Amino acid sequence: MIKPSKFGLIVAYAILALAILAAVYPIWFVALASVRPGQRLLTLDLRSMFIPREVTWENFNRLLYEEYFLIWLQNSIKVAALTTVLCVSLGTTGAFALSRFRFVGREPILIVFLAVNAFPGVLSLVPIMQILQRIGVFGTHSGLIMAYTAGTLIFTTWNLKGYFDIIPHELEEAAMIDGAGPIQAFTHIALPLARPALAATALFGFLSGWNEYVMAQVMFTGREILYTLPVGLVIMADDQAMPWGLFAAGALLISAPTLLVFLSLQNHLQAGLTLGGVKG
Amino acid sequence: MITLKGWRKTVIILGFLLPTLLGVIVFSLYPVLFNVFISFTNRNLSHYRPPESMLTCSPDDFGTYCWNAPLFGNYARLFGPLMTRASLAAWARLLMLMLPWLGVYMITRRRGYRTMTAADTWWVWPLAFAFSYAIWSLAGGQAAINHLMNSGDFFIVMFRTFLYVALCLPFFVITGGVLAIILSNDHIRAKPLFRTVLILPWAVPSYITAKIWQFFFRSEHGTINQVLGIFGIQGPAWLQTDMLAFGAVVLINVWLSYPFFMTVIMGGLQTISRDLYEAAEVDGANWWQQLRQITIPMLRPAVMPAIVLSAITTFQMFNTVWLVTDRGGPTRGAGRPGATEFVMLYAYKQFRSQNYGAISAFSVVVFLLLFGATLLSLRLTRITKGAYE
Repeated sequence: MIKPSKFGLIVAYAILALAILAAVYPIWFVALASVRPGQRLLTLDLRSMFIPREVTWENFNRLLYEEYFLIWLQNSIKVAALTTVLCVSLGTTGAFALSRFRFVGREPILIVFLAVNAFPGVLSLVPIMQILQRIGVFGTHSGLIMAYTAGTLIFTTWNLKGYFDIIPHELEEAAMIDGAGPIQAFTHIALPLARPALAATALFGFLSGWNEYVMAQVMFTGREILYTLPVGLVIMADDQAMPWGLFAAGALLISAPTLLVFLSLQNHLQAGLTLGGVKG
Repeated sequence: MITLKGWRKTVIILGFLLPTLLGVIVFSLYPVLFNVFISFTNRNLSHYRPPESMLTCSPDDFGTYCWNAPLFGNYARLFGPLMTRASLAAWARLLMLMLPWLGVYMITRRRGYRTMTAADTWWVWPLAFAFSYAIWSLAGGQAAINHLMNSGDFFIVMFRTFLYVALCLPFFVITGGVLAIILSNDHIRAKPLFRTVLILPWAVPSYITAKIWQFFFRSEHGTINQVLGIFGIQGPAWLQTDMLAFGAVVLINVWLSYPFFMTVIMGGLQTISRDLYEAAEVDGANWWQQLRQITIPMLRPAVMPAIVLSAITTFQMFNTVWLVTDRGGPTRGAGRPGATEFVMLYAYKQFRSQNYGAISAFSVVVFLLLFGATLLSLRLTRITKGAYE
């Protein structure tokens, strides 16, 4: 690699510095607002737009003990976790079948999966809400979990199928020669081997439930006790009274787990990225 | 491959497949089919209940919906205004603008075969641009666009969404690419730190960053205008001015998406063999030449799928735009789509005002477009190689 000239290095570091400022400032801005006394995002003097002057934990305190935050947190964890479990358990067996068996209708199924996946989520709101209403779970967390599962199931299946495809099937064949049935080949060989893919798929499933906003908002309008975190927080920020400090504190608390997941996964992001079509 | 025979095969395969299939059919396939069905009915605010029987109902029934008369009425309303004689003439004029770019494609392709690079065909680009501009002013491109813009919401919304995608993508690639190339250089220090920090915009939930950006762009007390104020500049009302709101949404999307491209391009850079650069260095190529002749061409296979994928997600963008521009930005006149009311926002708003029949037809059209794009992305990424063997 050619050693860059001094000028080149200066330009490179300048670009990096700018990029870092742009990437971090909005998040730093929220952090500042969350510890600033009073309910304001804005501050009129330049210095406290970058450095905290007085620090108070009042917003966190109020958020955790006086608002619905903890209930929303509980709702969000419940919904996202159950969605993940449902998605992975419904998707894995199908993915295995599509990867390992050859049968009539396999290709049509794959194509239908792809086609249906191209249908944008916002547009299937009406029919999904109607099904949920008909089976009596509209406006409940079970309903929301079903809707989220619907949204991520195909992606889950497709992603896991891709992973099963690259696990060598000789292992299962060897097991079957030794007398294992296809079910044992699945549970004892394929599943343990697919553990990394299962983990990654589960995490993305969790995040999709954790971050979803529109559907939950349509379902629970006006019923604060049922809100998930995104709905609660956005509505809080839209409030005329503008408890911006609370919003900022909540935003920080919610982002933390997502950030941790991303940072711990960042080395694996490259490989799995374009294959499954995951993009935030 | 597991081979089974007879009824046992059927039972086992069904056993494995059924849970997944059932979930997909109920929650994914049914909504699509239902949407197609509704797109042929006159369901809306005044025809909202399902009829007792779809066979005996009439579109004039009070309160219940029925087959639309004519059956393709909802589709006709979308495409009809774009198919009149005046509109077709406008299309023809706009198509003429494509001709110079077709020429560019032919020339660069032929050159490509001979020298494996497009570096010495740079002159075709300004030339094509000049030709396009000439055709635009001579054939009345502006008038053609205006005519189509007045033909109805469908064209406006589609046009703006495509424009949005076309504006965003080059910025994604350039910002992501520049950062990836800098961070892949051996002579830069603290790379892991930079990489981790620069990925932040991707990691924070988008509805949170949307709210922050909305605050930045506010006209009063917005951070951007405050900073401008320090220099004595009276900042504009960003989100209330249509062009500026559009620009703001592009900027925010670039901020959200460059980490994805940075990551993809860094992955691509790792796959380029160092030998190529060493050979180029022996031949006396400088940094810029290496970038043009080695890096960019070798990155294509990694970047193309990411571009298609991003085009699809940008086309479908909802959350961020909805929250930042407060439901689709400023409008020119009541009932007309706002400046940033892209496809999904438009669909969602129509859905909220219970225009079900019309919006279902709209979504079927969007769906076909997206499906086409998905197939294209699969061809580019070649995951189907396994699927269709």
